[in-house]
Parts: sequence; structure tokens; C-alpha cells
Amino acid sequence: MPTAASSEAAPPRSSRINKRVLVAGAAIVLPLIAVLVANLGRDPHMVRSPLVGRPAPPFSLQPVGGGAPVRLESFRGKPLVINFWATWCVPCFEEHPALTAAARGLPDVQFLGVVYEDEEARTQAFLKERSSAYPSVMDPDGRTAIAYGVFGVPETFFIDAEGRIVEKFVGPLQRSTIAELVARARGGRP
Amino acid sequence: MTRVALLSIALLSLPAMSAPAEPPPSASRAGAPRGAPLSGPELDARTDEVGALLRCPVCQGLSVSDSPSSMARNMKAEVRDKLAAGYDQEQILADFEHSYGEFVRLKPTLRGVNWLVWFGPLLALIAGAALIASKLKRSGSGPDALPAPRSAAAVDVPDRGTLPDDPRLAEAMRRVRELAYGWPGGVPPKAGASA
Repeated sequence: MPTAASSEAAPPRSSRINKRVLVAGAAIVLPLIAVLVANLGRDPHMVRSPLVGRPAPPFSLQPVGGGAPVRLESFRGKPLVINFWATWCVPCFEEHPALTAAARGLPDVQFLGVVYEDEEARTQAFLKERSSAYPSVMDPDGRTAIAYGVFGVPETFFIDAEGRIVEKFVGPLQRSTIAELVARARGGRP
Repeated sequence: MTRVALLSIALLSLPAMSAPAEPPPSASRAGAPRGAPLSGPELDARTDEVGALLRCPVCQGLSVSDSPSSMARNMKAEVRDKLAAGYDQEQILADFEHSYGEFVRLKPTLRGVNWLVWFGPLLALIAGAALIASKLKRSGSGPDALPAPRSAAAVDVPDRGTLPDDPRLAEAMRRVRELAYGWPGGVPPKAGASA
């Protein structure tokens, strides 16, 4: 008898609870799912920089080993790859051969290294030890890194012939990625 | 509760729906300085104030003013230079935002989803209070429904003449009481008189 009574009373009660739990649960879970879905398939290395699609911040920096200051405007007219790096950064060390090979293989593209929080003498020794196919400039007070919104090294910016940032890549680059992103910089806007 | 949940969803989604998709006009590069150039102690103080509003990009939740990292030091130097040149706080923050995105602002501006950050906790508090109020009302129990607290008098305090059941322990305690309190035979004077 008691079992029959409880089974009769149970359905309306449990369905009422379920509806409330459902609404409360949906209010919590749905926004989280929306955020997850919106970010699925994003390459974490492709950081959405607010600078992408905008003109690259201008700079005038001293090359490693001395010489006339290197200015952004002087590269106008061909795609530019700006790589922020340092000798104390292991991933920078790893990507150096890929960047050098890409610079040699793509003569119509300008590559430029911006040295981030490092000493000039150490940088010079590093570059002498390993061949480099493109110039590097010193950013002594980190102003250029800040203007480009650099969080750490390595970070690489792909700039089109009009001086607009097309892509920003965080982390060590591989040859294939460089080719792909340079193609985008060649094609103008992504 | 359903009504509360629905209401909070509706309220929270309102500003998100009406928020403009394009970045605010302040995100453009700082133009001409809008304030007066600062110097001396005022410059130091303002540098710290503006630095406290900027997130150090390489730290975990630290402001540029609080972080000892070299990047934060560089950013602080830039803030200082800009204040010295006469740029105002909003121009400086907008300039950093241009490079790093809104992430760099430790105090998010009131727009778009940020309404959630500013008013979400308040809404959650109100919804929680409403939920508790409705629960209390439904159960119909006021404060008298709570179990009565135990009065201090109910706690048993042993009489000072009490002795343990063990005769050896009792004897020892009598001796200790005699020595410590000077009670003859270890019996408290009053208790002894009444016994």
C-alpha cells in the first residue's frame, strides 16, 4: 500500500523539481557552452591582437652592431615579417633556423628581428655563432615591444606591403607556418 | 525561483544585445595631449595611479605599479613620459589598450559584456536574497522554529568537593587539596561543614 501511494504522489513532484533545476542549470551552463563553441577550433598560437588589420606601429631602432636607425617606413612596398626574440629564449633559438631559411628562400619578403630585453653584446655573439639572413634591431627600453602589444618572446608579426598587420603569431615558428602566413601578408588583408 | 532565473537572464542579456560591435572611439592612437604636463612629486604620484590601472602583461593579476618585472618597469616609464608630455589618464589607457586590447585595463570599461562583471555579482546577490526570502516564506517558520540555544546554566559544573570514584585517586586528590588550599583533610571548609 505505501509503495502504491508514493508512486502515485511522486511524478508531479519530481517533474516540478526537474523543471526548476533545468532552468537554473541552463542559466549557468548555456553561457559556458556558448563561450566554448565560440572558441572551438581556434589555434591558441593565433592570438587575436587588437592590432591585426591596423597599421603597424612605427619605430626607429638601432641595428645590432651599430649603423643607421632602421625605420618601419623604409620597408613599405613589400611584405615584412617582424620577429621579437631574445638570446635567453629557448623557443627563439629553436625557430631561428626556420626564420633564416625562410628569409633566404623568400627574397621578396623582408625579415626583421627585434631584440627583446637583451644585451647587444650577447645578441651580437649569438648572431655571429649562427648565421642570420636578416637584420636585427635593439629595443632597449622595450617601447616597440609595448607598442606591438608583445607579451613575451617569440612573437612574430606579418605585415603587408601597405604596412598593415595581417597576422600575429605567438610561439616558435616552423617553415610551413611562415610560408602560410607570408602568403597571407602577400595577399593583403586576410 | 524560475522567475528569478529568467529575470536575471533577461537583465544580463539586455546590455549585451544593445552593445555596439565596433571598438570604442577611444581605442585610437592618442592624438594631442589633453591635459597639462606634469612634473615633480605630482608626476610620481600620477604615474603610480595610472600604473595601478594597467595590467602587467607578463604577470598573474598584478598591476604595472605593483610588478617588479622589466616589462612593467618599461610600461611604467612610458606612462611617466606620457604624463610628463601632458597626456591624460584616459589617453594613456587607450593607447595601451590599442596594443594589448582591453585585457590591459584592470578596471574594465562599462560596455558590452562588461556589464556582467560590474553588475553580475549584485544581481546574483539580489537573486540569492530573493530565493532565501521565498524559501523562508514558504516554510512559514520564523525564528522560533530554530532550536532553542542551550543555556549556560544547563552545563554541569562539578562541586569543588567532588571526588573521583577510585579510592586511590580520591585519596591523592584530598592530599593535593590539603597541600594546595590548606583544607584540613582535603575537604573544602563549607562542604565539610555541611557534610
